[in-house]
Amino acid sequence: MTEIPDLIDALVETATPVRRLRPPIVRAGLWLAFAATVLCLIAIAHGVRPDFSDRVRQPLFVLSMIGALATGILAAVASFQISLPDRSRLWTVLPLPPLALWVATIGYGCLTDWVSVDPDGVHMGEAVRCFATLLMTSVPLSIAILVMLRYAALLRPLEVSVTGGLAVAALTAFALSLFHDLDATVMILIWNLGAAALIAALGSLFGRSMLEWMASRFTTLPR
Amino acid sequence: MSAERRSPIPLTIVSASTPDDPQTAGDGADWSKLMARSQYGDREAYRTLLEGVTPYIRSLASRCFKQPTDVEDAVQDVLLTIHMVRHAYDPSRPFGPWLAAIANRRIIDRLRRDTRRKAREVALSAEHETFAELSANLHAETSDEVALAQAIERLPPDQRQTIRMLKLNEMSLKEAAAVSGRSIPALKVATYRAIKSLRRMLKQQSNSP
Repeated sequence: MTEIPDLIDALVETATPVRRLRPPIVRAGLWLAFAATVLCLIAIAHGVRPDFSDRVRQPLFVLSMIGALATGILAAVASFQISLPDRSRLWTVLPLPPLALWVATIGYGCLTDWVSVDPDGVHMGEAVRCFATLLMTSVPLSIAILVMLRYAALLRPLEVSVTGGLAVAALTAFALSLFHDLDATVMILIWNLGAAALIAALGSLFGRSMLEWMASRFTTLPR
Repeated sequence: MSAERRSPIPLTIVSASTPDDPQTAGDGADWSKLMARSQYGDREAYRTLLEGVTPYIRSLASRCFKQPTDVEDAVQDVLLTIHMVRHAYDPSRPFGPWLAAIANRRIIDRLRRDTRRKAREVALSAEHETFAELSANLHAETSDEVALAQAIERLPPDQRQTIRMLKLNEMSLKEAAAVSGRSIPALKVATYRAIKSLRRMLKQQSNSP
């Protein structure tokens, strides 16, 4: 390796002006605005689920939706906060209360609907469309948050990718229950919790290497 | 976590209240201003800052690494990280905790990597070198050599002389013929017979333990 004075020379030589990051809360807001745009576009293209007006009258459904949405928003805020080195690690617990609410309502729905499981209730066409919505929501949101938080690869990759993954997962689940009429309990469990767990797990497994890859693509190093 | 637990050296996570913290030492406010100017591309300020923080980072790193080369590598790693994330510093917040957080993060990462590497790799000891070092296998070689030398000694005199000239001294047939005064075909026959009887003798030896 080079000597430290040589390294400092190289770093000083490449020290071009940089644009300071906006406060984390503003950046989280920007990402959430992007997420809202994506959801609006899908809503225009696809339309909300046919029984939406009936479902919003059910407190359980509303609670579940609020839980998912709040989890998404708070996890995004937490992720942007802890991506900065001098912010407290306690920000990671911020999305936990709405997460508990969301998971609890899914579980409750699952138990109450248990008897009415109909094997033919969900046919393949709906499931495939549902999967398309899942991809349309989670892929752009994941890419956006990876690009915005790429510098965290060197600082707290695990915490940032888990909270970021949770934010994407929660908003994706919100989109799924907004657009898709999936009433079979097993499907709700698979699509809501399963998709959330899958995205969060992928985030924790590959988040670190993805963040590093993003950092290497978008950050210039002195040569 | 595992590095913190397994590391024989206690990890010191420096917070803003540590006595040798740059904020309390009086440099912190200056560093904050220097960093703010560096963000606008002021190279002199950036050089002063990097040179100023280096001893501080080195003191943090030397608490966790014993080898001077490891300490220097850790310092370079921290300096590079500061360079890559310098846009993430907010001048309205103190510089000391920001720097200490980055330094601790990188040092812990390095310790973890070292622990993982040590768990996976085994340092070669003297016994393992037996397979690589030439001199290490001398025992087996010398016993073969001794057996061969003894077998040559037991050959008839003309065969013994031929083997010594052609094989041990690596003379050519012509040279051997000139030295011994025998014809080349005679030397060839003698060599053939000598090797045949050597082979027989060595085979007998290896069969009888």
